[in-house]
Amino acid sequence: MNQVITQPPLRTETAKASHTPKTPTRRRSSRKDRISLGGYVGRAVVWLLVAFNIFLLVWMVLTSIRDTRDIARDPLGIPAVPFWENYSTAWNTGGFGTAAINSVIATLISSLLVVAIAAPAAYVLAKSTRKLSSTFTLLFVLGLGVPGQVLLVPVYIMMAKFQDISHLKMINSIQGLILVMVGLGIPFTVFLLAGFFRSLPVEIEEAAAIDGSSGIRTFIQIVLPLARSGLVTAFMLAVISGWNETLFSLVLLTTSENRTLPIALLAFLDQAQFNGADWGGLFAGIVMVVTPVLALFIWLGRRIVEGMTVGISK
Amino acid sequence: MATPVLPLARGRNTARPRAGMSAIERSRRRLFWPMLAPALILMILFYLVPIIFAGWLSLNEWDGINELKWVGLDNYIRLSKDPVFIGSIINTLKILFIVGIVTFVFAFGLTMILRDMMGKKFVRSVLFFPTLINAMVFGIFAGFLFSPSGPVNKLLLLVGVQDPPKWLAQDNLFNMIMIVMIWSATGYFTTIIMSAVDQIPAYYYEAAGLDGAGPWTKFRHVTLPLAWDVISVCAVLWTMSSVKVFELILVFGGSTAKPPPTSTWSTALYVFQAAFGSGGDREFGISAASAIVSLVLVTVLTIGLRRMLRRDAVEI
Repeated sequence: MNQVITQPPLRTETAKASHTPKTPTRRRSSRKDRISLGGYVGRAVVWLLVAFNIFLLVWMVLTSIRDTRDIARDPLGIPAVPFWENYSTAWNTGGFGTAAINSVIATLISSLLVVAIAAPAAYVLAKSTRKLSSTFTLLFVLGLGVPGQVLLVPVYIMMAKFQDISHLKMINSIQGLILVMVGLGIPFTVFLLAGFFRSLPVEIEEAAAIDGSSGIRTFIQIVLPLARSGLVTAFMLAVISGWNETLFSLVLLTTSENRTLPIALLAFLDQAQFNGADWGGLFAGIVMVVTPVLALFIWLGRRIVEGMTVGISK
Repeated sequence: MATPVLPLARGRNTARPRAGMSAIERSRRRLFWPMLAPALILMILFYLVPIIFAGWLSLNEWDGINELKWVGLDNYIRLSKDPVFIGSIINTLKILFIVGIVTFVFAFGLTMILRDMMGKKFVRSVLFFPTLINAMVFGIFAGFLFSPSGPVNKLLLLVGVQDPPKWLAQDNLFNMIMIVMIWSATGYFTTIIMSAVDQIPAYYYEAAGLDGAGPWTKFRHVTLPLAWDVISVCAVLWTMSSVKVFELILVFGGSTAKPPPTSTWSTALYVFQAAFGSGGDREFGISAASAIVSLVLVTVLTIGLRRMLRRDAVEI
């Protein structure tokens, strides 16, 4: 391995020396050399794609503040005067107001719970040397691969049964949805956090143990603060997936006062089928679905990207 | 072992941590179950039990109201004769292979272009964001942009295309869905592959360049082999997410007051429609059976892909 690493640069030096005398600009020139015609075309395509993605977002926001008739006449136009009424229509009569509140409640509570429940489990799985722990780790990893639709019908029936037994409202209620979102989010969050805990140095816990700190105190006072960035990432990813959850919400939530945003959006589309499309209101609703996630991404993008990709390449 | 100094040093090194470890280990053992239990219980309740329940339900006929009726493998036989279900499997496989391969080719192309490009972090972020947004939104966008008198056709008219393709006609609908999927997935896989490619030392490329390798040879003999592990993980990841595709198809090209045309259904949509579709009948047994088929599908494909890709990796 050592040889492989050291050899190429050596050869580079000698080769460069014999061919090009001006070593200071070496990096620049080699970089320039690499851009061929294909390279330029490639870059143009990339920037076009970037422009298209940004255009979509700008267009979405602009369309949401235009009058529906205006949109129908010229779908790509720019609003002369902002038409904010779309938002009040969507919020009040379109059902997006209740839905937004429901979405915020369901997403925040379920994300907090899933991190709170997954963190201790991830910690013991990451640090324990028991044979059992690798079996359980495998169980959580396998859970990652189970498509949601496999669980759809059984979970729905189980929730209905649980409602019958406990007399707690589970079907068509936000608390029922929260429970389902927590349950379904466990494998990913455990998997993600176990990776973070594994990367924490074991010496700190040893030091804490030698100083007489109990296991649970070490976990709460030493390990959790150290893993804060991991916990924040896990929370953010739970928020994003909770905010976008559609399949189970669609089945579990049936009446308008319990809808979450994706379901309100679907209901709004259904209505458009009968009343003609209220594009302005629809786009206002879409902005409500997209903006929080986009804001999170702009704010904590690096963490989100790392959480979604780094754990995977290991 | 040979010199007296080594064993002594080793003995001290192992003795100390062991004392510390055992204290930690003991308290860890005490905490193992209390800390694991809540997550484990949820895992059992929301994954293990439902899967077993789905398996049992798939052998029964049930509408949720009347008595459950044991039908054995009848549901599976019915599925095998249902053209809509077969179609949904084919669509899912199309998503897996066609969308998957095109996305990977794009992701690699983008990685190679972005590798030494100005503003690559910005580009990567912009291309990544569609992954985070509910795919439903893109379904609505596409329905709006590609409608017969929509912006795309108007733009085409400007450049002289009098007779644009019928984007949202039934025959084209699934292709449009696949294009939107490619667009939204490319950024995510570009990011993963880029993080792997970024770890390849630059002098490998320089060395290859000096040996006369062009861009393709560099890609083939440096990038591909060194990023292979990540590629195989990506393939597994894509397999798992391709079987889940739901929202995009549900809303594509219109609304849900009536279900989307059956020609675009994926397995997820089939499961949903059979149990909760607007058709009225709740066929939990059929739905569970199709769910089990999709679970088997994802398992077989994942194992198969891993095997296939692992064998190739040995060559390197």
